[in-house]
Amino acid sequence: MQLLNNETRKQQQKLANYCRNGITIKIEKSIPENIPHYRRLVYNIITDTLETAYPITYNYLPDEQWNNLVHGFFSNHKCQTPQVWRMPLEFYEYVVANNIAEFYKIPFLNDLLYFEWIELEVHTMPDIDYPTIKQNASLLTDIIAINPEYKLIQLNYPVHLIAPVDKLEEKHGTYFLLAFRNKQNGNVQFMDLSILFAYIIENIANEITLSKIISNADALFQINDINTLQKHVLAFIEDLKQREFIIGFKL
Amino acid sequence: MLKHNIGIGFRKDFAEEFLNTQILKPSFIELAPENWIDMGGYWKKLLDQAAEKYPITCHGLSLSIGSPDELDVAFVKQVKKFLKQYNVKVYSEHLSYSKCDNAHLYDLLPIPFKADAVKHIVARIKQVQDILEMPLVLENVSYYTPIAAEMNEHEFITAIINESNCKMLLDVNNVYVNAFNHNYNPKEFIQKLPLHNISYIHMAGHEKVSDTLIIDTHGQAIIDPVYELFNFASSLIKPVPVLLERDFNIPEMEELQNELSKIDAIVSKKWEVENAIA
Repeated sequence: MQLLNNETRKQQQKLANYCRNGITIKIEKSIPENIPHYRRLVYNIITDTLETAYPITYNYLPDEQWNNLVHGFFSNHKCQTPQVWRMPLEFYEYVVANNIAEFYKIPFLNDLLYFEWIELEVHTMPDIDYPTIKQNASLLTDIIAINPEYKLIQLNYPVHLIAPVDKLEEKHGTYFLLAFRNKQNGNVQFMDLSILFAYIIENIANEITLSKIISNADALFQINDINTLQKHVLAFIEDLKQREFIIGFKL
Repeated sequence: MLKHNIGIGFRKDFAEEFLNTQILKPSFIELAPENWIDMGGYWKKLLDQAAEKYPITCHGLSLSIGSPDELDVAFVKQVKKFLKQYNVKVYSEHLSYSKCDNAHLYDLLPIPFKADAVKHIVARIKQVQDILEMPLVLENVSYYTPIAAEMNEHEFITAIINESNCKMLLDVNNVYVNAFNHNYNPKEFIQKLPLHNISYIHMAGHEKVSDTLIIDTHGQAIIDPVYELFNFASSLIKPVPVLLERDFNIPEMEELQNELSKIDAIVSKKWEVENAIA
């Protein structure tokens, strides 16, 4: 049963819509000069949250473009998450869904936002139980255990390599990025990866032995030099151990 | 050492400093569950450390009890799980709305003071309490304009608290802010509230932005007239937990502790005398 009158609902909708789109309204029995404070207070939360989540994008875009983007997002998109710190993900999804990168002629915009979001996501994502491990085993024939708190993503532009953002639009390609969270201090570490090393990490995560991965990679990437490949892969594995991404071997 | 149950809002802005200091020693901490639910890593570690040291109360932001939309049952269940996980005995929210037309706004909008809104909200409070299996505690919010009001603020609040039999969080600063902005007597306002349902008090600072408007910012120290109003309110109600809210412009820990001590000193006078007489 509907207990709220349509008229009451309408007044609430008017104020809420005004807070979202800033289009002036008249509300019954109100103090008109104070109504803009609601728009200001609500909008400050949105801009502060987005500028904190996407500092590189915010600094890269001219003020007018950024402001138009945020205004368009908050006016047109209905924020679904009750957790304001997750709202920037919806902003990224809005930019992708509405082809803003094309409209603004910034082809790497989606990747830039995604890269910035991934740092936030990996930093805050729920804890994942670490596997039970042993320290002494064969790198080649035992199952390597990795830090489970990571994301392996693919990008079309090397937004993670170039700072400040410079001529990125000329560098379209395939890039891989590993982001993982340090168990002790919670910091997020990034690693730029070649397609080969991304393939290796993906397969280690699938609990395939390194020996098998190297053998498969040799064929897949048509390297045809398994000894050299193994040398490179072992150096990479050593690097991952130093960075505490590889944590041991599964029991 | 505080004699009474005086807490402080646990904010990420000073969480680490707070956990590593011996200066700021509240009786409990309060946090917004929305800011911590499903959060892992660094922040989860800090939250767990805080939970080991202090009892936690929760003060939500996104329940939107006054929303014209359907209640977000999935969200309430998430909150319930969080309350259980951290053994939280008090869950308070705002008598306002922050979601409309299926869009979150992340701030507190004023509900029309109308009879149909009362009935609508009372039904929603009962729904929330049924899911949570605990009382909901609702705060009187500051507002800068009424919206299509057909009754005054204290009639609206009293009707909701009495008809739903939920608990009330008396935000003394909000009473002060509203009394200034809407030109009423704050002491008379407090006297008219359902005092027996008040189970929690908030204290905070605010910002006067013009000769006719104060904004509730939680970014300044509590001013003397708000302490004075708190002194008055505490003489009317039974001892309850009191919380200092400080969300922005975080000062030195000493300053926050001084505010806690000042609150403690006021209630010590009021509530110890009352208890002695009882």
